[in-house]
Amino acid sequence: MKSTARSTASLTHNSLALLGAVVLSLFASHAVAAEVGVAARIRQCTTCHGADGNSQTPKIPSLAGQPEFFILNQLILMREGVREVAIMTPFVKDLTDADAEALAKHFSALEAKRSDETIDPGLAARGGARVAALHCASCHLPSFVGHDQMPRLAKQRIDYMVESLKAIRDSQRAGGDSLMTAAVAGVSDADLEALAHYVSSQ
Amino acid sequence: MIKTRMLRNSLLLAAVGAAFAASQLVAQVTAPAPQATSPLDRSNPAASTQDPNLSGHPVPPTLTPTERIPLAHLKLPPGFKAEIWSQGHPGGRTMVMGPKGTLFVGSRGIGRVYAITDRGGRREVKTIIQGLQEPNGLVIHNGALYVFAIHRVFRYDNIEDKLDAPGQPVEMTAAFDLPATRHHNWKYVAFGPDGKLYVQVGANCNICELNNGTHAHIRRYNADGTGMEIVARGIRNTVGFDWHPVTRELWFTDNGRDWAGDNGPQDELDRLPAGQDGAFFGFPYCHAQGIPDPDIKMPNACANVVMPAALTGPHAAGLGIKFYTGTMFPANYRNVAFIARHGSWNRSDKFGYDVVVARPTADGKATIEPFMTGLLDQTKNEFYGRPAYVNQLADGSLLVSDEVNGAIYRISYAQ
Repeated sequence: MKSTARSTASLTHNSLALLGAVVLSLFASHAVAAEVGVAARIRQCTTCHGADGNSQTPKIPSLAGQPEFFILNQLILMREGVREVAIMTPFVKDLTDADAEALAKHFSALEAKRSDETIDPGLAARGGARVAALHCASCHLPSFVGHDQMPRLAKQRIDYMVESLKAIRDSQRAGGDSLMTAAVAGVSDADLEALAHYVSSQ
Repeated sequence: MIKTRMLRNSLLLAAVGAAFAASQLVAQVTAPAPQATSPLDRSNPAASTQDPNLSGHPVPPTLTPTERIPLAHLKLPPGFKAEIWSQGHPGGRTMVMGPKGTLFVGSRGIGRVYAITDRGGRREVKTIIQGLQEPNGLVIHNGALYVFAIHRVFRYDNIEDKLDAPGQPVEMTAAFDLPATRHHNWKYVAFGPDGKLYVQVGANCNICELNNGTHAHIRRYNADGTGMEIVARGIRNTVGFDWHPVTRELWFTDNGRDWAGDNGPQDELDRLPAGQDGAFFGFPYCHAQGIPDPDIKMPNACANVVMPAALTGPHAAGLGIKFYTGTMFPANYRNVAFIARHGSWNRSDKFGYDVVVARPTADGKATIEPFMTGLLDQTKNEFYGRPAYVNQLADGSLLVSDEVNGAIYRISYAQ
């Protein structure tokens, strides 16, 4: 677990050590190496999640503006194998706590922007009514920007949220607060879609 | 260097493509799960206005540095002393001791089981199991570690002989056949004085009517998962129980409903009186010391309901309970129960975040008094730690797990 993606980072680390052995203290060179490692990690993430952290890829979530703790927590849960997302496994299996913290800090600071998906006004109106009945704002906040372990929903991709909500309702998705399975228990597919349209439009 | 990076990126894209294709394939073949059995949450929207100031507290999934572990905040009665016994096990909650001296620690979100061994006065922490869904339920029986995750059960035989490579467990999920619902379904398990394995199934809602034959009860089994019997019903969410060392009666904590106000209904410490197996403790109709539910109304809601032995405070979240049987502490701690109160989330002014003593009285009730405090700063309305479970070491000292700091405190006494 502690042996990180150092195969990529070590090259850089070695060159730096050669170049700057006199100038850089050992501690500082480690810090620089970690920085480069994180930059490479960020590039990996943006391949699918969007250069600015706002995904234009169907069913791939936006990370921009997500709560820092939420991103950290999900990365760790995926690394641990608690939340199994096959497509993410190669990227998280060797992730260090420190790199996960750096990624969380980076993406949480970016500005959330809507994808090019179209909001259906009828669905959004229906979703707004269901949101009140289901107390969604209680955890995700009235502005739906989320906090701590609760994700931002505002401006998130609709297709991703619909898929996630169904998986949570059907106990097919682990790694969230189990409270969420109770919150959406018994909600129809159509209503889940309406919820997604509403919160994404916020 | 640039060439390497380009190559790496194209490899990366290829890997992403392959993984994406694989995930699509998996998505297609995954059968839909059965619906939850009791989906109806009857929380009253009027009572439970959406309050963005009240939601569950996050549990850090990463290491807490030593300087942030709030040892200096802990306050104890005169003569008692606290120290950090172990650290570096994020999310660690339940604690069970193996016969060879390994402390096994379960967790919820992070999905790990830790093994802590004593190396000449220093503790070594190993993550021995990973990737489970909320493996809070741990128990040792004949040298085997039983791990109860949400609805899945595993048995690791002779676990203390293979801590470095626990290997494949015996899966006992089918034998125990527990409901697959997730909410309030992380487990607590213990063997009773009758040699049976006791486990609870929580209500998978905040407040709702449900089938007491499947949810909101404590049940017991033979060690192999046969012979299931329900021993106590109408229990919203207990995640801690123990047996009185003298009377052998079952005592358990129970977390009261949310979204019905800051002051209640209070959480309960309950006692199952001898000879009353199957008794009803009130959920969802009757709470605390006889408070009918404001949402789910039933005539004579509290008739034939076993009243609590003690109230343990509004939203205080009493989790672990252990009767003290050691000799290190003063004699008046013999046979009293220590209860870890995890601390409130559904309350404006935070409450709990401590360890209390429940002193059984002659009438079958108990009085509650403070023991370990200092983790809640009432003036700032902030907490520094969340006690989750308690356990007793062979020398009579007491262990307290602090879930949000990934630490275990040892409390000892000297005159």
